[in-house]
Amino acid sequence: MELVYAICVGFMSACGIFLMLRGHTFTLVIGLTLLSYAVNLFLFASGGLTIGAPAVLNSSENYADPLPQALVLTAIVIGFAMTAFAVILAMRGRADLGSDHVDGTEAFDPLSEEKS
Amino acid sequence: MDYFWVPFLPMLGIIIPLLTNKLNRSACALTTALLPAVALCLIFLDLPAILAGESFHKSFEWIPQLGLSLSFRLDGLAALFSILILGIGLLVILYARYYLSAKDNMGRFYCYLIMFMTAMLGIVMSNNMLQLWFYWELTSISSFLLIGFWSYNSDARKGARMALTITGAGGLALLAGIILLAQVVGSYELDVVLNSGELVRQSPYYLAILGLFLIGAFTKSAQFPFHFWLPHAMAAPTPVSAYLHSATMVKAGIFLLARFYPVLAGTETWFVVVSLTGLFTMLLGAYTALFKHDLKGLLAYSTISHLGLIVLLLGLNTELAAIAAIFHIMNHAVFKASLFMAAGIIDHESGSRDMRKINGLWKYMPVTATLAMVASAAMAGVPLLNGFLSKEMFFTETLAQSILGSMSWLVPVLATIAAAFSVAYSLRFIHDVFFNGEPKGLPKTPHEPPRYMRVPVEILVAICLLVGIFPNYTIGPLLENASLAVFNHPLPEYSISIWHGFNLPLLMSGMATLGGVGIYLNRKHLFKFAGMFPDIDAKFIFEGCIQACVRWAQKVTNGLENGSLQRYAFCLCFFALLLIAPPLFELETTRGSLPGTPLNGAVIIAAVLIIAGSLATIIWSHYRLIALLMLSLVGLVVSITFAYFSAPDLALTQLSVEIVTVILLLLALYFFPQHTPTSKSRPSRFVRDLAVASLIGCIIGSISFALMTHPLDSISAFFLANSKTGGGGTNVVNVILVDFRGFDTFGEITVLGIAALGIHKLIARMRLSTHNKDDDGRRWAKEKYPVLLSVVSQSLLPLFLLISVYIFMRGHNLPGGGFIAGLITSIALIQQYLANGVGWMVKRVSINYHYMIAIGLITAGLTGLGSWLFGRPFLTSWFEYVSLPWIGKFELASALLFDIGVYFTVIGATLLILASLGKLTTTERLTVGER
Amino acid sequence: MSLFEHLVIFPILIPFFVAVVLLFPHLSNCLSKQRVISITAHVALVVVAFVLLFKVEGQGIQVYALGDWSAPFGIVLVADMFSVLMVCLSAVLGLAITLYATAGEDKTGAFFHPLIMFQLMGINGAFLTGDAFNLFVFFEVLLIASYALMIHGGGKQRTQANIHYVFLNLIGSSLFLFALGTLYGTLGTLNFADMADRIPLLSSNELLIAKAGALLLLAVFGLKAGMLPLHFWLPKAYSTTSTPVAALFAIMTKVGIYSIWRVHGVMFGDQAGGLANIALPWLWPIALLTIVVGAIAILASQNLRVLCSNLVIVSVGTLLVAISVNTVQATSAGIYYLIHSTIACAAMFLLTGLIQQQRGQAEDRFVAARAMPQAGILGFIFVLLAIALIGMPPLSGFVGKALILQSVTEASQAIWVFPIVLGGGLIALIALSRAGTSLFWRTSGENKGALKGHPSQYLAIGLLVAILPLLVIFGGTVNDYTQLAAEQLKSGLSLQQLNEVAK
Repeated sequence: MELVYAICVGFMSACGIFLMLRGHTFTLVIGLTLLSYAVNLFLFASGGLTIGAPAVLNSSENYADPLPQALVLTAIVIGFAMTAFAVILAMRGRADLGSDHVDGTEAFDPLSEEKS
Repeated sequence: MDYFWVPFLPMLGIIIPLLTNKLNRSACALTTALLPAVALCLIFLDLPAILAGESFHKSFEWIPQLGLSLSFRLDGLAALFSILILGIGLLVILYARYYLSAKDNMGRFYCYLIMFMTAMLGIVMSNNMLQLWFYWELTSISSFLLIGFWSYNSDARKGARMALTITGAGGLALLAGIILLAQVVGSYELDVVLNSGELVRQSPYYLAILGLFLIGAFTKSAQFPFHFWLPHAMAAPTPVSAYLHSATMVKAGIFLLARFYPVLAGTETWFVVVSLTGLFTMLLGAYTALFKHDLKGLLAYSTISHLGLIVLLLGLNTELAAIAAIFHIMNHAVFKASLFMAAGIIDHESGSRDMRKINGLWKYMPVTATLAMVASAAMAGVPLLNGFLSKEMFFTETLAQSILGSMSWLVPVLATIAAAFSVAYSLRFIHDVFFNGEPKGLPKTPHEPPRYMRVPVEILVAICLLVGIFPNYTIGPLLENASLAVFNHPLPEYSISIWHGFNLPLLMSGMATLGGVGIYLNRKHLFKFAGMFPDIDAKFIFEGCIQACVRWAQKVTNGLENGSLQRYAFCLCFFALLLIAPPLFELETTRGSLPGTPLNGAVIIAAVLIIAGSLATIIWSHYRLIALLMLSLVGLVVSITFAYFSAPDLALTQLSVEIVTVILLLLALYFFPQHTPTSKSRPSRFVRDLAVASLIGCIIGSISFALMTHPLDSISAFFLANSKTGGGGTNVVNVILVDFRGFDTFGEITVLGIAALGIHKLIARMRLSTHNKDDDGRRWAKEKYPVLLSVVSQSLLPLFLLISVYIFMRGHNLPGGGFIAGLITSIALIQQYLANGVGWMVKRVSINYHYMIAIGLITAGLTGLGSWLFGRPFLTSWFEYVSLPWIGKFELASALLFDIGVYFTVIGATLLILASLGKLTTTERLTVGER
Repeated sequence: MSLFEHLVIFPILIPFFVAVVLLFPHLSNCLSKQRVISITAHVALVVVAFVLLFKVEGQGIQVYALGDWSAPFGIVLVADMFSVLMVCLSAVLGLAITLYATAGEDKTGAFFHPLIMFQLMGINGAFLTGDAFNLFVFFEVLLIASYALMIHGGGKQRTQANIHYVFLNLIGSSLFLFALGTLYGTLGTLNFADMADRIPLLSSNELLIAKAGALLLLAVFGLKAGMLPLHFWLPKAYSTTSTPVAALFAIMTKVGIYSIWRVHGVMFGDQAGGLANIALPWLWPIALLTIVVGAIAILASQNLRVLCSNLVIVSVGTLLVAISVNTVQATSAGIYYLIHSTIACAAMFLLTGLIQQQRGQAEDRFVAARAMPQAGILGFIFVLLAIALIGMPPLSGFVGKALILQSVTEASQAIWVFPIVLGGGLIALIALSRAGTSLFWRTSGENKGALKGHPSQYLAIGLLVAILPLLVIFGGTVNDYTQLAAEQLKSGLSLQQLNEVAK
């Protein structure tokens, strides 16, 4: 099971990083989200995997390592804040640079011209 | 007041001219001259003692860790130089008062001048190498400011930059040399250093040290190949040329050689390098000087030549030669300063420095002419003048040496030739300027300068004569002590006198004089000969090189920073890969000792879903909506995974965050093109990224696997043990969040709050026009908000709120807590926005969300502070079980209060983000002025 | 526990509460009140920072156990000489840039003062915390604040630069979490002291995994510090953002340097047994290359802001050299140089702001333009700062450089360090003299329309510039402090000592 879990983590982070290396802000945001899933799973598993033993006292006799869970919770929240900022920044970029390419250099896309 | 004040008085004097600038010019000049004059007196007070062979030392600690101390010495050498610096300095001040025109800012000029004087005194009086360097660099800076004084003229700017660059480079080399020398000797104090000559010459670093010192000295003293900056420094006002570029600053390099003579001199290398450099510079300077039509140009090259002469003498490694060198330093300073001043007068009163225009000035300014002639005679080395004496000694020494082995006879010959040239250019200076027909097309008719402008020249010329006729009564003793200070051991027998009888040196001077006259008479041919060579202007070459370097640098820099995020991101990932890969290659096996947990169907399905989902996200990343759906699928599975591996809190959080994020992305997608334009990035880049990404993925995977299979003795046991007793909660994760590591949560909600503020900033300034049809040209639906949805959602709202309260309350003991509760509430409210539209909400809910964030944060913060009342550190928790009638026994915990803070912050942040984004989509754009 | 014993956490709490208070109604709408409060708070911060400095000098290292949970279970703040010096630095810087901003830059966007406060909270937290994950949290605090500040005032280039800055740092944060996970998974703890204690107990396999995590951290910190090859974002970011923010960012790179020093210089330093000095082989070449590339970029710079940004990069390289030499003497020298370079660069950024506003169209580009109304005073300040940044006497630059060169005693190292560091100085000299001559001397007519510098702007610059000579005049005293800091840093702190101090 650990093996499968590890493969998933590795695969997700690979996909996330690959998307982070693309050239369009929206793709980057998606990549970022994917990467943060991978990070959370990785961090979560750093304390080992336990089944059916939530770290809630007197719910079972042995407990999962609670510390990584707490860390992951913090990481999730911070990740959420960062993702939100990144998304809006991407929009701002498109508004200011007239393109959603990270370098703002790409051919000007007509949509940002068009008035709604 | 003793000599210790000498370097400080001028330092105080730096500001005086700026203050007295408002007064009339003479007052400004007088006040400026005051402190240097006092300093000069102080030196004279100590002179008797020094002539008696004493030398003074005083030092105070400054930065011991650096070895820098405030430490001065006044010995013969220092005294000699100080007198030159202060004396000539005072004359220059007087001279400049008449030289500067009304539109020049006199105060600033004097300020720079005194700054330079201070620096120069510092160099000659330093008893600590670092302090010496300190002042050394100050001379470069002040000379930069002085050369660039007439900043409106481009030559001045270029000349100043060139001088600063060359001498600055030399200064850096010198610093390196000093530090090396100190590492060898173990001290920066000159007293120590000067007495450890043997040690230094034996050390392996000797060559490096010598090289660095010589670079420093040669750049400063304009020795070949660094000589070219000096002629261009002539763009400075003439008083500056007289003071810095003939009398004092250019002597600093020679002073350095003299000062460190006992440490560095006496080896073959020193002998060859120094003397040959000097010899060549002397010849080059003397030859070039003859062909300069610019008065100051001629003087500049003759200065170079004389500096070369002095360096050659120092290089000869005999003490008599060194004495001759010191003697010539003084003589040259005196006659060259007076010549520059004379040239300045001519320039000032006739309006030109071009010797092809200025002729026959004898009629117009006889006095100045006489003075100039005497001075240039001294330069030519005519008997009864100081120049003659040192030149005789020089010839004697050239005969004594044997640098070039069997070819050593060349040296005196070349010396004689150089002398002949110096006679020739001196003749030219006299004849061309004062005789040789009538002036041609001068801007104004020449006349004698104001009385006091001539005084400095007169004084200096008088000194030339006095020294020339009565050397032993005037300069003898001081020279002797100066030389003593150089060698710090008794001197050999030597005599300065006009008449040594008929001997080889005398013959050489005779030949030199005749040769000089000869050269001057045939100058026509020589000029024709010199004219055949293209005259190369160092300025253009230098500037050209700098330009070339700049262009090259720009090419390199633009090559590196090409403004492509994809490259930068790749660098980051690749660098990370390089860092983490090697350790893992050393690792034999990642599998640890722990037994693996058995695999089951559910897990496999989840794994397949995750992998398929992420893969799909990539494959369809161009179809953004689909990519988004795939992504949320993955997110869902992830939260289920958390639940499966006994992390209910994580599952809940992940789920709610997932929902909010997806809503956010969907809203955002409304403003983006539906499809990513098929990327133009080259396939090579595609492959490159794929490779790096997958490699990192593999490594992350292996590490994760290794971590899961290795046993770990972590600090977690403590949390499980103390959660109930110490934290008052049974949900350990939550207790960790609000108690054990509450500070993390504190920071985390701060991040959330800041993010909301930042997003508010981003949106408030955003003028983003949206498209009104999708990519296939279908217009967006225009219907009002579906009634059913709005009704349902409104009726659901209370239920949602109830749930969130429940989740919140149980948080401390069962999965849940402020964060999740907050997210649920915000989802409920957002749903209202979605269902009824922003307008509808704005009418009903009049909460300013960033106040809400503030309230949340302050609650959390104050809860933390509360523990101070009980004398406990920040965020110490407190809990108590109270039982009320009817309700029964329940728990009150400060952690709960903290969680309320979290709750409000989350709601505030989430809604500030989504609502203000939502408003963008509607007709009423966000108009919150950025107050 | 008296209030005085809570002193350690003040540098984090003061900015936090002030920032939050500034968000409340009546304040968030009234800039004048915001300015008063925020400047008062900054002054308070400076006072607190220096009181803390003297406390640490007098009573030794201070430890503050948050939530009264002792290390390694709870989070502790550790205030030793190094961290406190950094806190003082950030406090002074914060005061200066806020003074500068009150001249009007804080009008050009919302939440300027709260964000600056949050930024300082993050920076101080990163300096003071003794816990790995808490360091991550504070990194995020200062990052998100910097993201928001960087677009302050708006404009195409800022958005552009910010996109690069943000996305690079987002990758960085993910790597940070990977590294933390790896380290927790091998060491089983998050407290720096405890981690250092446990490293020698690791089995050979775990050792290698931990090594990967530790090196990954180097990439994370290096990105913040702007070291080669992760410095690309820096010049654009620093040169496009608003003046006060750019000046504040002068210390952001130093946060990265500080962390490298703490983690790779000490935790994985000499005492780390199997993992001793794992970062050194990487740091040596990187340090020298950073200086070289930075110097080349300095020569290439077309305007003053870019030039300053590249000066920052060179200073980072020089600091990395000090870290790589890895002796107490070098560390002390490095800390001195760090203080000097941060202040000098920040002041130069502020000065550039004034130059821009007085040169009109030409801004700070090195082209002939109409003379500035206040060219005299600006030129004077420019010369001072140039001298300091080149590393010439009489200002602090030369002390820092000489100290670092001195600390390089091995010939094999000196042969590289001397030429590169001094060569960098020479290039700075050439570039800055060209810059100065074209900005102040190549002029025609006067730029009458330009608005003169506001007194508070000059006060801000003066505050920073005044420090440079003081660093020389009282160089002995300052070096005593840096020496102490270096000794405390290098001797490390075991968990046991930590808890003894805490009592």
